[in-house]
Amino acid sequence: MSMERRGKLLDAAQIRKDFPILSKKVNGHPLVYFDSAATSQKPRQVIDGIRYFYENLNANPLRSIHKLAEEATIAYNAARDKVAKFINADPDEIVFVRNTTEAINLASYALPLKKGDRVVSSYLEHHSNILPWLRLKDIGVTVDFVDVDDEYELDMEHYRSLPNDTRLVTVSHESNVSGTVNDVREIAALAHEAGAMVLIDAAQSAPHMKIDVKDIGADLLAFSGHKMLGPFGIGVLYVNKTLHEHMKPFLTGGEMIESVRLNDVKYQKIPRFYEAGTQDVEGAYGLGLAIDYLNRIGMGNVEAYDKALTEHLFDSVRSVKGLDVYGGKSGKYGPILSFNVKGLHSHDVAYFLDKKGFALRSGFHCAQPFIEDKLKANGTARASLYIYNTLAEIDRFAAEIKNIARKYGRI
Amino acid sequence: MDESKLYELMDEYRNPPHLGKPKDYDALEEGSSASCGDRFTVYLKLSGGTVKSADFEGSGCVISTVCMSRVCGAISGKTKEQIRSMDIKDVKKLIGIDQISASRISCAMLGLETIKKALADKKRM
Repeated sequence: MSMERRGKLLDAAQIRKDFPILSKKVNGHPLVYFDSAATSQKPRQVIDGIRYFYENLNANPLRSIHKLAEEATIAYNAARDKVAKFINADPDEIVFVRNTTEAINLASYALPLKKGDRVVSSYLEHHSNILPWLRLKDIGVTVDFVDVDDEYELDMEHYRSLPNDTRLVTVSHESNVSGTVNDVREIAALAHEAGAMVLIDAAQSAPHMKIDVKDIGADLLAFSGHKMLGPFGIGVLYVNKTLHEHMKPFLTGGEMIESVRLNDVKYQKIPRFYEAGTQDVEGAYGLGLAIDYLNRIGMGNVEAYDKALTEHLFDSVRSVKGLDVYGGKSGKYGPILSFNVKGLHSHDVAYFLDKKGFALRSGFHCAQPFIEDKLKANGTARASLYIYNTLAEIDRFAAEIKNIARKYGRI
Repeated sequence: MDESKLYELMDEYRNPPHLGKPKDYDALEEGSSASCGDRFTVYLKLSGGTVKSADFEGSGCVISTVCMSRVCGAISGKTKEQIRSMDIKDVKKLIGIDQISASRISCAMLGLETIKKALADKKRM
């Protein structure tokens, strides 16, 4: 694919104008933000929109009956509708939470799992899709972890032979370390064949590709607003309607009940069942605006541009001597590159890059088992890209990595 | 002077004077950083309430490794009480810098914290 063709997928130069922070200088250099897997930057439309909310719509939704509260309620509900449409769900299947971590924890408390049940997670997971399930060992739930091969792809055979007692398969759509995009549709089908529910951690995929919960066959799906151009503090748990009547309460309190008598409590239905207390209304509103922004570009264009960035990223570093690059050959990767400069700790690589304006994360990325056991590393440096990054930034990055490897590494 | 000076110490990072497991020791302790991947084991030789020598194994970033090694060198001859009262100011003095960014303080302190744990009257061998 030529550079010209790539350029047509999406006008990154135009998009960059919407992100005020990208004109910032860091350590005397233009900021090159390669840490979008940790959190994305926010466009002016989201930043200004949140200000608009507080200047025009601010009231506590769903409670008071006055005009302003009505407007806040309409805005809050509209955000839920946008999220539902974004992943092809119904609005009453969309629960607002803080982030993916809270979404998965909610599921771990609320799903009717009991002693003797089996949960199947995987080696590719973020800690937030490991620890909530390990906690269930205390009540006698068995937790298995599907292995990955040398190309950091899941052992699909494991899913083809799930034991009968498997109640839940939980898996990331895209790894936050290797960028591996898992075949969640196939995994969901295999889980369902075995009579198990499926939870998809879409924290890394929702910003980058079209998500269709019905096409995937997800029973639950979790993602964070802040990784997809939205504000911090807002996330989503999709819960398929067929599960609603089986789920237990999580947080209890205001507005999640129909009636409270001291000896008889009747709960609201999902989603309000899981939205106790005043919610992050600003966050939901901001997430709605982020979705508007992504929809204007088109998720198909986002995905295609990401693919062009990913290919260029991997191509650019492959020729650099003295690097360990943790990506396989399958090509099923999101725009994430984990690597190490031989002889250097990942923090030191990130430090040297920071001095030239590049923002990268380093360390375990909340995926210690995968990095220690499978990558055999004590951390990685990670470049993670998004729609506002450019091929030219990748070229500068590759040149700088080359310098660092030559100057400080052990080639 | 800021932490960039530490990166002039690549030779010391590659070959820290106190790296290696000693033949005999009286206390050991493991220290690690949950988010970084740094992992050190310190070995202390004690005489009464005084540290005779300190060494370490493991790996970390430039800042954590150089600080680890220099703290090992600095505590020889010091009493447990003296070591327990050491803090980031002492580590900064040892490495000759006065500015460490907030996100790297834990790197600089990992060695000293691990040694303090080793002296906390447990795991005595």
